[in-house]
Amino acid sequence: MTADTSLSSCARAATAAEARFRIDAPVESRNARVVALDEPAAEVLRSVAAHEWAGARFFVCEPGPAGAGAGGEFLLRSIDGTPAVLSSELDGAHVVVMVATQDSGAGCAYAIGKACWERAVMTAGLVLGDGSQTAAVAALRPHARVLLPTADESDLLELLTALRV
Amino acid sequence: MLRPEINELLTQTGPKTPMGELFRQYWMPACLAEELPEDGCPPIRLKLLSERLVAFRDSYGNYGLIDEFCAHRGVSLWFGRNEEGGLRCPYHGWKYDTTGQCLDVPSEADNSSFAENVKLTSYPLVKIGDLLWTYMGDPATQPPLPEWEFALVPPEQTYTSKRWQQSNWLQAFEGGIDSSHVTFLHSGGLKTDPLFKGAKGNEYNLNDTKPFFEVADSEGGLFVGARRNAEDGKYYWRITPWVMPNFTMVPPRGDHPIHGHFWVPIDDENCWTYSFDYHPVRPLSAVERQAMIDGHGVHSENIPGTYRPVANMDNDYLMDREAQKSGAYYSGIKGIAIQDSSLQESMGPIVDRTKERLVPADSGIIKARQKLRKAALALRDQGITPPGVDPAHHHVRSAAVVLPQAEAFLDAARDDVRVKPGMPVASV
Ligand code: FES
Ligand SMILES: [Fe+2]
Repeated sequence: MTADTSLSSCARAATAAEARFRIDAPVESRNARVVALDEPAAEVLRSVAAHEWAGARFFVCEPGPAGAGAGGEFLLRSIDGTPAVLSSELDGAHVVVMVATQDSGAGCAYAIGKACWERAVMTAGLVLGDGSQTAAVAALRPHARVLLPTADESDLLELLTALRV
Repeated sequence: MLRPEINELLTQTGPKTPMGELFRQYWMPACLAEELPEDGCPPIRLKLLSERLVAFRDSYGNYGLIDEFCAHRGVSLWFGRNEEGGLRCPYHGWKYDTTGQCLDVPSEADNSSFAENVKLTSYPLVKIGDLLWTYMGDPATQPPLPEWEFALVPPEQTYTSKRWQQSNWLQAFEGGIDSSHVTFLHSGGLKTDPLFKGAKGNEYNLNDTKPFFEVADSEGGLFVGARRNAEDGKYYWRITPWVMPNFTMVPPRGDHPIHGHFWVPIDDENCWTYSFDYHPVRPLSAVERQAMIDGHGVHSENIPGTYRPVANMDNDYLMDREAQKSGAYYSGIKGIAIQDSSLQESMGPIVDRTKERLVPADSGIIKARQKLRKAALALRDQGITPPGVDPAHHHVRSAAVVLPQAEAFLDAARDDVRVKPGMPVASV
């Protein structure tokens, strides 16, 4: 085994304290759209939305065919009740997080997942509950690149924080 | 991204730290059984969870793990003489048994009770499988012995190695649940490594580089499912179990032995990576065992007489730029184990997690950190025993299965991720 060990000298000089000087480029927050697919999920969103976010906006997807608006636009409702158009909300979005507690949101998940796919927007899904929400999980699975079935409501807060939105 | 105080919380495992107390709830690998090969053999130094200890096997075959330093004036007992029934400090001759009890203080009068009142800190040391296990917490809450399948199968069906990693345990462990790096960093090995190659599943791996992920809670920790497209509209699932705090398994490939890791903190800037391989049904073949000894698969080729890999920080891990260019080794580093350690050590002794940019594909890591933090705080503030202490939580396996699209991986594979003694693993 011969290797020029002098090459690695700088790498070996690593210390934990020096890590402070690594990656000093500013980190921009990312734009997330968080969409509740049913009413209990909207409840969770309301409490999470109350935190301070740099790039997150929160919506509720109306269940049933009401999601489709005039001109074929898919409509959402912002968490404060004002209407929003899915396609314009996806402009500039980096990730869409869908939150469900039941399978009633399957239609919404399909529409949102498809719109994200077409625009190359990353998708994530959170299914809140005690583990019996298998239909909701199945409904979200094809449309969420990352799916977290969980009993822990704080997972949404944790995920958004970790993603720096 | 983690706040600085959370990064500290998760990476510090010394005595009296919240994470250190969490680790002290569990039976942990202390060393390989081969390190104390016979009665009365030389003692070994062990640093675990930032505590300096010495492990020895006395002349009667009892194992002991005691404070490294002599109670008299602090000499390292690694220099000790392993005599009849105890370890004698060579400086002034104080002698200790495997429980740390001082047996003899030669300078005192023959019938003196002085020695009776001298006792070093000690922890139990128990052989299960190829490992010696210790429990470094409060004796009053010592859990039953661990029941990991790799340690319970007959000796001819299992093999364990270890290597020193020059990084904090957390960044090493995070590699163990990070399914999304396999298609890149380890792609060369899927085609050539004798312990991986030839499995049908490898094709799915290499053909679909953008897996979907599903992260589900388990009793002891998590199951991380990575899903890729298989034929006929089916999904190929690779399921990685994590049992808290530091046990992970790699999903199997074909009929190859199944493997996994323990990531044990030495101190806050070093850890032991234990890598095991076992087959629940049959003995390892001579060829397989030799491949493991030679450092293939998840194992490493170590400098003889040590547990330091031959390819290490001092020689740039024997970087091979030609192999990097040709794709034989995606990163230019040979072998799965060193591919991981080289990159994880390059992050620094303790990576600054306030600066990372996590993506949704990192959800397994995000969730694992959250569970560790919550468990450490629940233990500290409410005395709640963390998941993974109960040996029932040890009965997990990884799995690699092809499922219809509509089936939830945990429902369909619930049986596959449980240990069924003597039954094969679910693998393609
Ligand atoms: S220091 Fe050990 S006997 Fe004196
Ligand atoms: Fe790896």
